[in-house]
Amino acid sequence: MTLPLSALRACFEGAIPSMMTTCAIDGTPNVAYISQVFCVDDGHVALSFQFFNKTRQNILANPRATVLLLHPVTAQFFRLHLRYLRTESSGPVFESMKAQLAGIASHAGMDGVFRLLGSDIYEVLQVEEVGEPALPDTPARCSRLGLLRQAAQRLSACVSLEQLLDTCLDVLGQSLGMAHAMVLMLDPITQRLYTVASHGYDRSGVGSEIALGDGVIGVAARERTPVRISHMNSAYLYSKALRNSMQPAAGAPQQLAEIPYPGLLAPHSQLAVPIVSGDCLRGVLFVESPLDLQFTFEDEDALVVIAAHLGAAIDHLRDVPAPAEGAAAEGAHKAPPARQHAAVDGPPLRIRRYASNNSIFVGDEYLIKGVAGAILWRLLREYRQHGRTEFTNRELRLDPTLGLPDISDNLEARLVLLQRRLREYGPHLRLEKCGRGRLRLEVGRPLDLVEVAG
Amino acid sequence: VSATSSPLLRPEHLAMMDRGVSAIVGSCSRALVPSVMRAVGYRVVAEGAEVMVYLARSQSRQLLQDVADTGRVSVVFSEPFSHVTVQLKSARARVVPIPSQVEAELARYRLAMEHEVGKVGFPPTFVQAMLRHDMDDLVAVHLLTDVAFDQTPGPHAGQVIGRANGAEP
Repeated sequence: MTLPLSALRACFEGAIPSMMTTCAIDGTPNVAYISQVFCVDDGHVALSFQFFNKTRQNILANPRATVLLLHPVTAQFFRLHLRYLRTESSGPVFESMKAQLAGIASHAGMDGVFRLLGSDIYEVLQVEEVGEPALPDTPARCSRLGLLRQAAQRLSACVSLEQLLDTCLDVLGQSLGMAHAMVLMLDPITQRLYTVASHGYDRSGVGSEIALGDGVIGVAARERTPVRISHMNSAYLYSKALRNSMQPAAGAPQQLAEIPYPGLLAPHSQLAVPIVSGDCLRGVLFVESPLDLQFTFEDEDALVVIAAHLGAAIDHLRDVPAPAEGAAAEGAHKAPPARQHAAVDGPPLRIRRYASNNSIFVGDEYLIKGVAGAILWRLLREYRQHGRTEFTNRELRLDPTLGLPDISDNLEARLVLLQRRLREYGPHLRLEKCGRGRLRLEVGRPLDLVEVAG
Repeated sequence: VSATSSPLLRPEHLAMMDRGVSAIVGSCSRALVPSVMRAVGYRVVAEGAEVMVYLARSQSRQLLQDVADTGRVSVVFSEPFSHVTVQLKSARARVVPIPSQVEAELARYRLAMEHEVGKVGFPPTFVQAMLRHDMDDLVAVHLLTDVAFDQTPGPHAGQVIGRANGAEP
């Protein structure tokens, strides 16, 4: 009987090593443990190439291989009859396997011994079922599809990016039990990811940045592939890599223009899924846990679905013309009344802007940089020079001095970031929406704006 | 069985195999297509110069056919917790009936495996299911070891531990 490979996904989780037999040209068989069998698609698997050994010699000379798999719950055996095609040493399959193998190595006490040299891609000639399942399978989390339905409905109903992000995190936490999560967006100018929303951490970390390729998040983004680790190991202590990846801002050498990465100090399971729309990377959806083995392939499936929905919704919300940006619909969305603000008094609030990277400091505290910093600086100057407190997204979008890359830039994501950073800063400076496509600057103290060259 | 002049296996390997660890059996057809199955038990004789592995016939048809056709077999013995692994290769293997009175041997092996596999987190019920078989379905592969290899992951993986007299290098 031939089964689809997808029926064997539990066998590919790495809980039980698989056994592989190859054969030399002289007919001598060779049996070897194989750390990782990775499902590429329904017709192909990738096996981890870790050592230049007899298995390696054999498959290069005789491409046939047979792999024995054991289901980690039912104890049923399966055999994969394979033909070696090629070895990949970069790209999504390789990077996913590399991260996963690091977790397997950690769990097996094989840190430093297991290292992925390549992903050997095999054509699956036959999936052979050996005997019957001996034990009952774990009941599927039957409500998973129902939960996804609810999630899709809730995400579809969102009318702003901020609502979309909050809803997404709520779905992950409440419906899927993923208590520590972040959404990061790609800055197309700097090609770095910035945290725009998070939950389950001591501090939000909104505005913290990660370079493409750093940690599970950066690898998932760079390769546009899910990356899942079930047991973290020291070599892949990504949170450390992430912390180290944050660079001091140029032009502000005395004060680091950085926001600490909020992630868990000792994560044991991590899963990062790229948010892609069309051929564009929008960001990364990331969850983690202090416990081992928290995310299965089914969790990965669920997150991929949610990330796909997020990608489409992010683009949709960006493309929908806000009434304030359009013509006649101005009255359709009444702006909420201005928040009752204490009078602008007290000692002046000193705000510095470093021109080289638009980093903004309030007092001695770093607030934000980049395009979001440029936006805030523009609003503050307008406020001081003309007393303006209300602005439209449209005028920001059209302002060439802000350095927005092009029409495809996600201004809304930068505004959400800015709003959240200001809320975290404190009560004296706020930026709030006051209708679709409209913003209101709320200032509680006199401002002392200082430009710092260089 | 001719005794080897130098030991095929080091004492620590023999001790591991005597305890009862995972045993995986591989062979290959004349057309160079590999076959593989897990043994449900085994017996080590003459310090590893001779080995008998027990297989469920219904799970191992191609493997048994290949052994019968070619006489070639490889068996990997591995301790799941420590990853200590040894591979024995033979071009002098044949399919034989299981010895009489093998039940106690199989039961000892199952208990040993419950202990070994338990160390990596699987319950005895899982091991019992993994090694389940009907006695009527059992068959043995008897092999005279030609070469023993160290296959513990690491720098010595793939090195020859010992060869039988007359076995080609």
